[in-house]
Amino acid sequence: MAQVPVQTIHRDPQLFYWILIPITVVMILTGVLRHYATVLMATAPKKQELPSIREQRSLLRGINLRGNANAISGPSFQARKDYLVTSYESGAFLKEPDKKGQAAPNPMTDPAAMEGMMGMMKGNMAMMVPQTLIMGWINAFFSGFVIIRLPFPLTIKFKSMLQAGVGTKDMDPQWMSSISWYVLCIFGLQSVFNYLLGSDNAASQVQQQMGQMAPGAGAQMFGPGVDPDKQFQGEAENLAVLAHHYTLEGVEGRLLQTVKV
Amino acid sequence: MASSLLHPPAHLAPSVALRLSQQAPYLLRTTPSAISPYSISSLWSSAESPELWTTYENLMLSCLRTGDEQSAHTCLERLTERFGAENERLMALRGLFQEAIAKDDDALKKVLKEYENILVKDPANMPVSKRRIALLRSLNRTSEAITALNKFLDASPTDAEAWSELADLYVTNGMFPQAIFALEEVLLVTPNAWNIHARLGEVLYMAASSETGTDKHLPESMRRFCRSIELCDDYLRGYYGLKLTTSKLLTTLSQSQVSRQSKGDTGLPPPDIKDIERLNELATAKLSEIVRRNTSGEAGWEGYEKPEIIAAQELLNRDAAPITR
Amino acid sequence: MTWLSKSITSLGFLFLAHACYSAHEHSALHSTSTATLSSLTSHGPAASAVASLPIDISIETVVAIFTICLALVLGTPELRPIQWRVWAGKIEREGEKGFMNGDGEVEKDYVGNPFKVLESRPGFVDIRKQRKEFAEWVREGGDLATAPKS
Repeated sequence: MAQVPVQTIHRDPQLFYWILIPITVVMILTGVLRHYATVLMATAPKKQELPSIREQRSLLRGINLRGNANAISGPSFQARKDYLVTSYESGAFLKEPDKKGQAAPNPMTDPAAMEGMMGMMKGNMAMMVPQTLIMGWINAFFSGFVIIRLPFPLTIKFKSMLQAGVGTKDMDPQWMSSISWYVLCIFGLQSVFNYLLGSDNAASQVQQQMGQMAPGAGAQMFGPGVDPDKQFQGEAENLAVLAHHYTLEGVEGRLLQTVKV
Repeated sequence: MASSLLHPPAHLAPSVALRLSQQAPYLLRTTPSAISPYSISSLWSSAESPELWTTYENLMLSCLRTGDEQSAHTCLERLTERFGAENERLMALRGLFQEAIAKDDDALKKVLKEYENILVKDPANMPVSKRRIALLRSLNRTSEAITALNKFLDASPTDAEAWSELADLYVTNGMFPQAIFALEEVLLVTPNAWNIHARLGEVLYMAASSETGTDKHLPESMRRFCRSIELCDDYLRGYYGLKLTTSKLLTTLSQSQVSRQSKGDTGLPPPDIKDIERLNELATAKLSEIVRRNTSGEAGWEGYEKPEIIAAQELLNRDAAPITR
Repeated sequence: MTWLSKSITSLGFLFLAHACYSAHEHSALHSTSTATLSSLTSHGPAASAVASLPIDISIETVVAIFTICLALVLGTPELRPIQWRVWAGKIEREGEKGFMNGDGEVEKDYVGNPFKVLESRPGFVDIRKQRKEFAEWVREGGDLATAPKS
């Protein structure tokens, strides 16, 4: 096996103190700053009015009844079903009963919906602005520097990841450029922030991106633009066709079979 | 940190409550007094945990119960410092504190007035509405409490705790059909709650004992107890109820053979008399096994409550007495 | 059970460390000897530099790994029940004692019967009644000695 001679590059050791450490420190401080900026900018969740709570929970009650109907007896279920179906169909649980039948309002004109969107915008801004600034800063001052050599060998595929901004073909992929160090910091400082700010911090952009990917299903259900009356009608239909099997039917037999003294 | 401080202390024995509240001065000294979400000091102090605030809340309840108002007030102050006085839950806690230190009925009426003022401003304040209902009940204004609770449940019909409270109120007033309805609502939210199944069985049994038409509710009650045992192995309360209902069913069925033909209120056929006998034997055997193992201190059988074991023992003795005679 | 599993684990790690050390020594010795040999003969085959390890070192490694696995499996805490009725029965029957961890403390996520709140109802607690009951209990001479340890 022929030994590849180790590539040596003579660097100024000052590079280490004036590039590597400043980038790391700035990244950490930005993360901390972003965390506090998000905390300060976050508006408290808007309090719901009693009628809208009633609307949502009444719908949930129907869903509960549909899911757990087997726990209660046939006549009890029938009574509840009749009550809920007639109320759903007449719109008794609606926030604004007289608006039944009208189309859902445009979410853009609804102030409550606008507020939610503003919140999302704020979160995005807190992420985008520092990112752009720091990237520009690094590009302006530190582009093209090779700052450290990783202590383990790497294959050629890592070249594009570790040597962004340095267009040298023959350099060993172990060498790392300043911009790559910045990118690595973005993704690698998660645990540092966890240590500094607690586990539910707002500093990590990775987490924020994940959060945007999968918003809670519950938020969708009562989100703006959904017509509650339509939901009630759908639920009434679901309830009306539900087949009911009482759990207590034959429970004595089941118990006698399973429990042995 | 004691684990029982992480749970609401309402069901604890007085001795446990006393022990917890005696820990209060120590806990208050060792835990940080205030954790601000913004300060720089959070960089090196330990991160706040939800457990800490749960501990404060439960500690406050325990202290109030044992009369250690000083510690309770400290807890309340620290919670207020963290969450602000406008927090719904804190408003309820503050009201609770004032209820506890109230000297006479006039002071209580003032607290009630305060609750009502809060609710006029913000009718969606659930914890305070609950406190108001509890206070009404505590002042023996049960019918008002029931009306308020019904209004509350109209707005929030998925609150199992409130349905359960309503059932309890109805039971104290002897309105069993309404209580059964409320307990069924609880079951619709938590269909696997074995203690609620047993509770429903108990209420059905009470309803059967109070009315003349005993055969209407008894089989249903027996089946509820069966279900509670099906959901929870060796459930003492379930077996106790099963034994009671089956014994009663056996006596009523032997007295009147005619009523067996009528279909029950629940749409289920009446249970087979042989099954009832076997269930009765099973319950007796299981009860005696549980009592025997618990009293002999066998490992893994120590979790039962002492009064429940005594009651079961009594039931077994009562049953055994006619045979030995 | 824990001391047994701990001692077996440490034994396994000892074996593993020994195997690693032997392998390292072997390769070091081997490379120096082949280097001197090849410098003598000047045409030694390059493949001999990566000659296989002696069989006893391999066996020791495998045995060490199996020992460690076995000990770790022995040291696992008792599995929680996954059937609802068994789990619920365990809560009712054993109380807090069934959910102790190795240090004799109740596990942090133990909640007892999670549906107990439906009967104790902390949102509707009647604090004055509780205070009265507590005062009565004190008057009757309740003392901590008879208290159930929890």
